[in-house]
Amino acid sequence: MTTTAVPPAPTAPDGAPAYATDGRGGPRAPRRRLRGRLGNAVGFVLVLAFSVGPALIMFSTAFDARANDGSRSLLPSDPSLSNFQTVFGEAGFGRYLLNSAMVGVGTVLASGLLALLASVAVARFRFRLRTTMLVLVLVIQMVPLEALVIPLFIQASSLDMLDSLIGLTVVYVAFSLPFAIWMLRGFVAAVPVELEEAAYLDGASWRQMFWHVLFPLCLPGLIATSVFSFITAWNEFVFAITFLGDEDKFTVAAGLRQFFTQYGTDWGSVMAGSTIITVPVMVLFVIVQRRLSEGLVAGAVKG
Amino acid sequence: MTTTQAAPRQEPGAPEPQERSPSPARGSGGGRLTPPWLPWLLQAPALLVLGGLLVYPLLWVVTLAFQDFNLRELRTGGFHWSGLDNFREILGDSTLWQVALPNTVVFAAVNVALTVVVGTLVAMLLLRLGPWLRGVLTGAIMVAWAMPAVTGTYVWVYIFDTSDGMVMRLLSTLGLADPDTTNWFTDRAAFFGIATLNVVHHGFPFVAITVLAGLLTVPKEVLESAELDGAGAWRRFWHITFPLMKPIFAVVVVLSTIWDFKVFTQIYLMPGGSGTNREVLNLGTWSYVTALSQNRYGSGAAIAVVLTLLLLGITLVYLRTLFKQEEL
Repeated sequence: MTTTAVPPAPTAPDGAPAYATDGRGGPRAPRRRLRGRLGNAVGFVLVLAFSVGPALIMFSTAFDARANDGSRSLLPSDPSLSNFQTVFGEAGFGRYLLNSAMVGVGTVLASGLLALLASVAVARFRFRLRTTMLVLVLVIQMVPLEALVIPLFIQASSLDMLDSLIGLTVVYVAFSLPFAIWMLRGFVAAVPVELEEAAYLDGASWRQMFWHVLFPLCLPGLIATSVFSFITAWNEFVFAITFLGDEDKFTVAAGLRQFFTQYGTDWGSVMAGSTIITVPVMVLFVIVQRRLSEGLVAGAVKG
Repeated sequence: MTTTQAAPRQEPGAPEPQERSPSPARGSGGGRLTPPWLPWLLQAPALLVLGGLLVYPLLWVVTLAFQDFNLRELRTGGFHWSGLDNFREILGDSTLWQVALPNTVVFAAVNVALTVVVGTLVAMLLLRLGPWLRGVLTGAIMVAWAMPAVTGTYVWVYIFDTSDGMVMRLLSTLGLADPDTTNWFTDRAAFFGIATLNVVHHGFPFVAITVLAGLLTVPKEVLESAELDGAGAWRRFWHITFPLMKPIFAVVVVLSTIWDFKVFTQIYLMPGGSGTNREVLNLGTWSYVTALSQNRYGSGAAIAVVLTLLLLGITLVYLRTLFKQEEL
């Protein structure tokens, strides 16, 4: 994947301190350097606070038993797990978690397999589908969800597929496929053709070559792609609230809405539920973040 | 992740890649030892899913926009054509011109500008930090990036809660706002101000990380010699860094534009955003509410088509920049 790095210019050595840090020994007035340092420090604090502030507030409220009596601070005033007990107990969040996990895993398996096969075709064969694929990736980025949710809702209701987690999974597979193919194409293209040829020379069939050469070499890419497919399905909200009316079928994103009632909002539970949704995404995200910007921007460039 | 590895073997519906036949174009064609129809077979399942769930619904929503399709038609399955009625209704509706369109376009313009500026500034800050601090800050903005839109929106609503949210407490202690008379969520400007915070918070990390990747490739010798020649930071940015990074900025701007134009969850989940306060509808929520809350599917589809056409224009620009970049 490193081969697909974004820009045209020569690449900087990985992890090396950037040019502007220091060690430059230029004729710089010490006062200016001090001001630069101060600016860095102020910027650092501001960006840090803005970035993690909302997440911190979410966590602290989730763990605060008195979240709903208006005791609001950055640290829980009465640390406890009672909000989580409510969320899993009365609210039945365990069911929603299970539903979300099933939909997510189904999406990952189906879109991983379909994307891998398709990306081999796009990357390996002299085949003018690369542009089509790129267009599809862009279309799915571009098309507003409303344009898809309206016809698919009509379709699903005429097929009696509303309230079906399988129906929802199929929709998410379609959403995650273009991006998955686009990303995987880079990984497949990075496998030297010589390796495939060597396999053929050893008498392997295409299928053997695929499973024993291409598949293992593309596995890291497949895992990264799967993480994104999973996050897509896990976070999705519009289709979930439109298709699912039966509470037993809610995914986590849809299940959160029940804490907003006409009598007021149970913020402690909302934040506990939000924490449960957010933490897995953050963990997965940190694992594969580097691929995301590369994939989005650069998938089209190399190949 | 182990499930992923085991997956393909359990999948019965997968196409069977055929054994290679010995004959075709061996040797010369760059290692083509496979039949010419293999690529089609490989991507058939993916194309089928994409065709059935993306392309077909898109075509359908366009035809729906020319139909009188309401709850009765949904129940009975029939429909009748209504020509341009839906579009006439929308274009003659003051909601479009005074509410939905400004709420979409102005909001997108402000948010794209803010997201790109904030993201670029953060990227430049990251560049100036030492490796350790840079790692910490990168981790922090990842937290912002990874926050799902749904939960992120709830947190911002909570922070600005009008009865006893943090901001209201602070302002009322300072005597700047009265919790009994102030409701930010019913005021259009304040509503979108809060939405802007949410969207910028969610969007700037992508810009920062992408721009940083670009900044790292700007040759430092050029910047150093410009500095020795007396060029200030501002001039160095505009005359050296920016021109080199133009393709990256183009991509970042257009992607942000697309995302901010069709912002839905962040508006819909705010108080009043799901149609109860018509002042704050944008094209996306208007379309959704019309179709799925009021069961006027034809009209909703027409709004969705208008929004799609707007986005199509933007995407064409994106395609052109991408292909230009490829030529480099």
